[in-house]
Amino acid sequence: MYPICNYGVYPVSKFKQEKMNQQATAILTVEGLNVNYGDFQAVKNVSFDVKKGEIFGLLGPNGAGKTSTLSAIEGLLKPQSGTITVDGNNASEKPLHARASLGVQLQSTSFQAELYVIEVLQLYSGIYGLSLSKNDILAILRDINLEDQAQKKFGQLSGGQQQRISLVIATIHNPKLVLLDEPTTGLDPQSRRQLWERIEAIRDRGHAVLLTTHSMEEAESVCDRIAIIDHGSVIEIDTPQALIDKHRNEPEVIAVSRRGRVTLEDVFIALTGKTIRE
Amino acid sequence: METVVPKTSAVFSSLLRADFTTQWRNRRAVVLTLIVPAIILLSWKGIIDQVGGPFVLANAITIGLFASGLMGYSNTIARDRDKGIFQRLRVAPIPSWTIIGSRLLVQVAMILIVTTVVFVIGLDYDKIGLTPAAYAITYFTAIIGGSVALSLGQMIVGYIKNPETVNSTTRLVYILFIILGMIGELNKFPVIINRAVHWSPYGTVKTILSTGMTPATWNSDTSIALFVTIGYTIVFTILGIKWFKWNTK
Repeated sequence: MYPICNYGVYPVSKFKQEKMNQQATAILTVEGLNVNYGDFQAVKNVSFDVKKGEIFGLLGPNGAGKTSTLSAIEGLLKPQSGTITVDGNNASEKPLHARASLGVQLQSTSFQAELYVIEVLQLYSGIYGLSLSKNDILAILRDINLEDQAQKKFGQLSGGQQQRISLVIATIHNPKLVLLDEPTTGLDPQSRRQLWERIEAIRDRGHAVLLTTHSMEEAESVCDRIAIIDHGSVIEIDTPQALIDKHRNEPEVIAVSRRGRVTLEDVFIALTGKTIRE
Repeated sequence: METVVPKTSAVFSSLLRADFTTQWRNRRAVVLTLIVPAIILLSWKGIIDQVGGPFVLANAITIGLFASGLMGYSNTIARDRDKGIFQRLRVAPIPSWTIIGSRLLVQVAMILIVTTVVFVIGLDYDKIGLTPAAYAITYFTAIIGGSVALSLGQMIVGYIKNPETVNSTTRLVYILFIILGMIGELNKFPVIINRAVHWSPYGTVKTILSTGMTPATWNSDTSIALFVTIGYTIVFTILGIKWFKWNTK
């Protein structure tokens, strides 16, 4: 391809063209991110991007730096260095613009205990600049089979119902990028499957999803691409199947595989080690 | 398509509606903050002729302001911070000041309610009436006095992260203020203690409130008390903001 510039027509390298295409479709770009807690460096030079219509998984053992990376993207903590760009908005220069393009479900979400579910939705639709009527909100709740819970308080809902409410609030303003921090933790298999379908529906509508998870089954089933992060650094980025194919014949992977079949979990354990992290 | 950031006014009105609803659902706690002021008004009826109506009203309002600002505001902030409610709000495209600003506006409303309730009980039960100007000045001084209580609450919730510790600390400080209010200025203690009580946050608030109820008696001591009250508010606010963390981790 020969892009036209003011001075005529010139060829660009394949690498540069790939980079241009990548930037054109990337909703989130993280470049050289470093996050410190005092002397401890939780995130070390992390770079990745999440494209439109993609579910991207961030996997890693406890304390690997997943939540710190996510918190930096969400604007909850200030990175030491690096660039975060959300839908073309530099998160440190235009934090409100960046956050307006984000929908966020935190690891442990809680809303004001005194408010009813319908009031929580009214609050969040208001702070995202939407003017939804009571009927609009009831329709949203009907869509997730929770219309009859509208007059209950958030704490009175089951874990699965709370997750559905949290997800609906995270996506109420139709964000281009949805961040989900361990969204299926503590859910029963039915609720988990239902949540996967909802996450895939978000992707199918053209939005990008970045999620963290400890479930390799979830990563394999739902994610289009994953990054494995350990000790604050990204050690692999690819599709789940490509990672399995790439590492399936390595002795470390074969050593940890069970029942003669190499899974993403085997690759993950081989790459991050067997030691239990606190 | 360009990203649209919600208008701050729309954000603020949504937060205000939620915070006022929360306060309304916590009305039992509001009633509890009015109990001690009510007890003062009911039990001190017999000594009004000796100490004067403004003294009784000022004590009742001061205790009410500290109950609301210390125990109401700081405990709610500590609880919501611990539950991650602030973090959820902070990932939305809203300026951080709107989150606390909305909470503070609710507290200003509480200050006005406490003051009004004390006025109503004082007038109805104790027959303590003020001039319209005195009422207006007292509402103004109550807001200034309430600011000290709120900033002290902010300082405590900034310094202490654990909500249970915030709760016990604010109760301790509140009880201390009640003791100061009840016995601090009875002239039965050494002069130095009387002076310390007089220039404590409790004492300066009580001074500007009681003098505000009789504007003709406003003197240099009252003006100094007003400046000291504002000084306390500034210092406590600066420390409260400096120490405050949005999460407990």
